[in-house]
Amino acid sequence: MTMKNKLARALLPAALAVATSAGVISTASADEVKFGALYPLSGSLALLGEESFRGLEIAVEEINANGGVQGMQVVLAGGDAVDQNQAIGEARRLISREDVAAIFGTYSSSRSIAASQVSELAGVPYFELGAVAHEITNRGFDNMYRTNPTARHMARTHVDMILEAVAPALGRDATDLRIGIIHEDSNYGSSVASFQELYGEEAGLNIVMVEGYPATNVDMSSIVLRLRERDVDIVMQTSYQDDSILFLRQANERGYEPAAIIGGGGGYSMVPTAEAVGVDVIEGVLNADFTQYSVNEGFAVGVEEFVEAYRAKYGSDPRSGHSLNNYAGAKVVLEALDQVEGFTPETIREALMAVDIPAGTTAVGYGAKFAENGQNDAAFMMGMQWRDGELITVYPPDAAVADLEL
Amino acid sequence: MAGGSKPPPLNQRSNWHGVLLAMDLIFTNLVNGLMLGALYAIVSVGLTLVFGIIKVINFAHGEFLMVAMFLVFFATAYFGVHPYVTLVVVLPLIFGLGMLVQRVLIEPLQDSDEHIMIFATVGLSIAMINLMLMLFGPDIYSTPSSGLRTVVDMGPAMFLTGQLNILIAAIALVGGIHLFLTRTQLGRAIRATGQNRAAAQLMGINVSWVYMVTFGIGVSCVGLAAVLIAPLYPTSPEVGQYFVLLSFVVVVMGGLGSISGALLAAMIIGIVDAFAGFYLGANVKDLVVFGIFLLVLIFRPQGLFGGARNMSHVS
Repeated sequence: MTMKNKLARALLPAALAVATSAGVISTASADEVKFGALYPLSGSLALLGEESFRGLEIAVEEINANGGVQGMQVVLAGGDAVDQNQAIGEARRLISREDVAAIFGTYSSSRSIAASQVSELAGVPYFELGAVAHEITNRGFDNMYRTNPTARHMARTHVDMILEAVAPALGRDATDLRIGIIHEDSNYGSSVASFQELYGEEAGLNIVMVEGYPATNVDMSSIVLRLRERDVDIVMQTSYQDDSILFLRQANERGYEPAAIIGGGGGYSMVPTAEAVGVDVIEGVLNADFTQYSVNEGFAVGVEEFVEAYRAKYGSDPRSGHSLNNYAGAKVVLEALDQVEGFTPETIREALMAVDIPAGTTAVGYGAKFAENGQNDAAFMMGMQWRDGELITVYPPDAAVADLEL
Repeated sequence: MAGGSKPPPLNQRSNWHGVLLAMDLIFTNLVNGLMLGALYAIVSVGLTLVFGIIKVINFAHGEFLMVAMFLVFFATAYFGVHPYVTLVVVLPLIFGLGMLVQRVLIEPLQDSDEHIMIFATVGLSIAMINLMLMLFGPDIYSTPSSGLRTVVDMGPAMFLTGQLNILIAAIALVGGIHLFLTRTQLGRAIRATGQNRAAAQLMGINVSWVYMVTFGIGVSCVGLAAVLIAPLYPTSPEVGQYFVLLSFVVVVMGGLGSISGALLAAMIIGIVDAFAGFYLGANVKDLVVFGIFLLVLIFRPQGLFGGARNMSHVS
């Protein structure tokens, strides 16, 4: 990539964020219904925050083109959740000044937790389409819903993948494998790791090491040494980008070659990570994350159409699976709202609780059925593998485009 | 590992085997610690220099590292040269930036309350991070490693050629700055200004100029660090934050303003970090590092190598 391209690519989100947030704000008239769209559109999470917002935008355009919701056109009022404080401020503004019927968001778990406290107090429904922290839907809120899989689902996929795909690929009994869990020690990594331990122990896996580290670590050689000393066969790392790169590089340079490395979202899903560590080093590394684009189209029905719509609107390929998951989640919600009359919290709850969409019929593959706490219990994460510099879906078999190979 | 054979699990090893392995591990951790210490040292030297002379705690120190790493990335990409060659571009630019910051931000506040200067550098840090976020987004930028990630295999211990270069450069930098401060006219003027600004001014030293040069040299040290670090660590607007907290610990532990103290403190922290990380775990190593730091503060508040110094910035 040339410098110019890189610079243009870097500047584009900022320009677009300004353009879109200015463009979508308008007042709802009689034949319109207004929803809030709360994402980090500036600051350090802007890239994927905006990517998430694009998914929602495409879903809204599609719904509007097909007659809208309850015969009304959907209008989005944008909010920029640059940090927790601003997320709270923007949620207040959307509710009191923009008078939105509900809020969609948020990508970032911490912003989602902060902003949804405001909406819950005001009795306004909040639809989370992308944040993964477990507690978002476990705070006893009445008007909180989440369409996407969570930290718990990520750990579930990790463990299931070891049991059903990794161990068979290695020709070994899963319970003979020595498992090591390493994770960045904020809420995200710690909560995934605790579910990995829980599900791993339930399945009788031999977990020999669980270790957290600060994500700002500049050296992971002692962790690599510890894993090697404990003869860990399978490493599960839940991490951000810098620490994913650091671990993969240092493990490789120190000649530590476990039978499998399984990453959790974050850095493991991103092409710049593969470029930074080298395509040959990341070859074969596994990952669990939201549905991405290299997925069986017979299972993720409509993923191709989504990519086409995205290209037509934004002139580039999607930059991550966040847009796809926000798109699919928003469609589930908006289509459900079309089945009832009115937008009171009660009718919205009624609409969501009636949803029952089987897996293999949506653009993300996973289905939708909401539990009492508002969490979509039919959601799950996909297992993926790096092959020749590409991240392809290998688990579950229905969604896979290739078999998991080690 | 020699022969590619895996060591047996800990509980199946004989005592003798265990002793040999334990010694291997001690050696490995020692080497890891030295390499890590060198990294902290090369980032800390400029910080302690600026503090010792100008009496400014530069909270934007890490951000100068970050900006310099971006310069290395773009110079490498643009000219297609080895990252080390970019030093000729990066050093003058970052030196100039340092002089500019001293002239327009620090100097006008020189005689005001110390807290004001802290706020000024914290503000500068936030502004620099957000400026880079605006320009380049939160993505990472990987400078090509250009062979600097080649592994040097010393029996059980391994390190990268790039890490060894950092160690050599850190020692050379400390020696070089020491010589510069003691053997050159400008160096003596800098020290005189650091010892007593008013007296230095009376002796005909242009204090304002000396401060600008000192700040420039201080951030040039991170310019050098950036050239050495960029091929090993990905660059992002937040990268300065990763290094800066420990470099403050290093500077205070070594004795504020003591350059050789910073080198030694960095090595101590690097080695403690490596051993605690291996024997106790990554989640408790900061507990050990900061525990030792607290003990030093309690029993030797002037730092391990700090003597009685004039720390007033208005003297």
